[in-house]
Amino acid sequence: MIEFEDVSLSLGRFSLNDISFRVDEGDYYFILGPSGAGKTVILEAIAGLHIPDSGRVLVRGEDVGDRPPEKRRLSLVYQDYSLFPHMTVFDNVAFGLRMQKCAKHEIRERVDDILDRFGMPPHFRERYPLTLSGGEQQRVALARSLVVNPEILLLDEPLSALDPLMREKFITDLHDLHHENGLTIVHVSHSRQEALALADHVAVIIDGSLKQEDTVEGVFNRPATEEVGRFVGIDNILRGRVAASRDGLMDVDVDGVTVSAVGSYPAGMELTLFLRGEDVMLFLSDGAVTSARNTLAGEITGISRMGAVVRLKTDCGIPLSVLITRQSCDDMGLCTGKKVLVRFKATSVHAVPVK
Amino acid sequence: MAKKYIFPDRCLISFSLVGGLIITLTLLALLNMTVAELGDIPYLLKVASDAKVIDSIVLTMGAGVNAILILLLIGTPLAYVLARADFPGKGVVESLVDLPLMLPHTVAGILVYILFMSRGLLGAPLGEIGITFEDAYPGIVVAMLFVSSPYFINSVREGFEKVPVHLENVARTLGATRFQAFMRIVLPLSARHIFNGSVLAWGRAIGEFAAVIMIAYYPMVISTLIYYRFTTSGLKESSTVAFVMIIACFGAFLVLRFISRFMRRYDDRI
Repeated sequence: MIEFEDVSLSLGRFSLNDISFRVDEGDYYFILGPSGAGKTVILEAIAGLHIPDSGRVLVRGEDVGDRPPEKRRLSLVYQDYSLFPHMTVFDNVAFGLRMQKCAKHEIRERVDDILDRFGMPPHFRERYPLTLSGGEQQRVALARSLVVNPEILLLDEPLSALDPLMREKFITDLHDLHHENGLTIVHVSHSRQEALALADHVAVIIDGSLKQEDTVEGVFNRPATEEVGRFVGIDNILRGRVAASRDGLMDVDVDGVTVSAVGSYPAGMELTLFLRGEDVMLFLSDGAVTSARNTLAGEITGISRMGAVVRLKTDCGIPLSVLITRQSCDDMGLCTGKKVLVRFKATSVHAVPVK
Repeated sequence: MAKKYIFPDRCLISFSLVGGLIITLTLLALLNMTVAELGDIPYLLKVASDAKVIDSIVLTMGAGVNAILILLLIGTPLAYVLARADFPGKGVVESLVDLPLMLPHTVAGILVYILFMSRGLLGAPLGEIGITFEDAYPGIVVAMLFVSSPYFINSVREGFEKVPVHLENVARTLGATRFQAFMRIVLPLSARHIFNGSVLAWGRAIGEFAAVIMIAYYPMVISTLIYYRFTTSGLKESSTVAFVMIIACFGAFLVLRFISRFMRRYDDRI
């Protein structure tokens, strides 16, 4: 549906370097990256608001080159909703249809339909955007972009200005929208939660370069580089050297501690290991050190409570972060300085060679 | 939003006292003149009803409006390009726009004169088709246009720059061409700036003297008339004409301010 082929584009202080990716029809494609990484520029390049310095942008298999935005049949929703402040809600939503020279009665029908679908009561139609709440503005912006029946919907951080409750609701709405209409959606955000809740595929963009493109599961569980790992929130990122490797299982030496990981890189190779905090189990230490694989003895060095979960920092020869539920934390009576055992499976450790 | 008066602190009070000096100066000059002029009301009325004075004021204000109408047509597109586009040599273009601000008015007058005089580069061919500039109404308009253009263009440009480019982008993805987005989004949202720029440029235009007399001594704009009366009939007559002009300008600007209050503010950003 949308393809970027080696697209480079520089724009003031932003630049995109040789970006290639592919969005399939009906995909919910997520572009994830920290603020200022050039994500919005990618969306605007898809929309035709920027022309790449080099490389090609294809939409529906066709090189759209310098085809202007008004001829690309896609809609764009910005973070600030960008409602036209001098037009009523009705006129805002009707704008696209008027540009397409639709008949008056058709415009009225379609605008009324879509506003109903978004649960906007009739008296809203004559209101001006500035009198609406953030959530209401968001709904109008979405209605305005969908009333023209676009094939592609581009969303630029659409949820970041909403309060947590509204955000939850909108995630559900977007999910339904995507599934009911089979719309191709490209969503740009820095939020991991939004990506996990919505995305089929994810591209990670950092500093104007594409670092990884994969399914949402792939990006979050098998990051390609340390940078991506840190960005998708892997709690434990360790460096080590393969000490022994056989039958798809490796012993990796991390600062004198041996960690077992799945993989078949040769001995002597330097690796980065990723281990999620929620994949680590924690037991109270009874003093006896077991020899089971990936069982390490250590003590708690820090506790931070984050609502339902608790992040424990432990020192087991190597620093390890562990996520447990608040309930288990309280039940075990954990506190700093407490001796514990941590255990994790070799399959939970994702290893990639250091670049 | 209701106006909120801030409680004056020491800083504001001392700033007001210092800043008040400039207002005092203007006020003093006006009062000084008003007292003198109101001392001889019959004479004031005679001058105010003098056909030559009225004609001259109407001519000056009319030519100013004419210059602004032309600026609206040709200055607005330029302001948009400067607001939205980056191109090599933009700095040079910007300097050219600002040039009339820095030039002594006589220099501006000479520039306009040698271009539009009857033997001039533009004056000659336009004379062929019957538009003469020397000592004629078009000459006044062209001189006013030249000196007031930077005020208009810069003010309108600022207005365009304040319209978030995202609004235009959204309009375009919804099927509007760039021109349609300009007409339906950018223009209405910059209405205040365009109005204020026009008022500012108009004020500058009707005040022009040097540039105008160089190309068109006749018909006499108000500045020329006042200077003429000053050199031929003396201070009393010229200051009475000046007083009439002050009243006319004051009235005009009051009306314009009043109109601008009805222009809507849609957005805090604009």
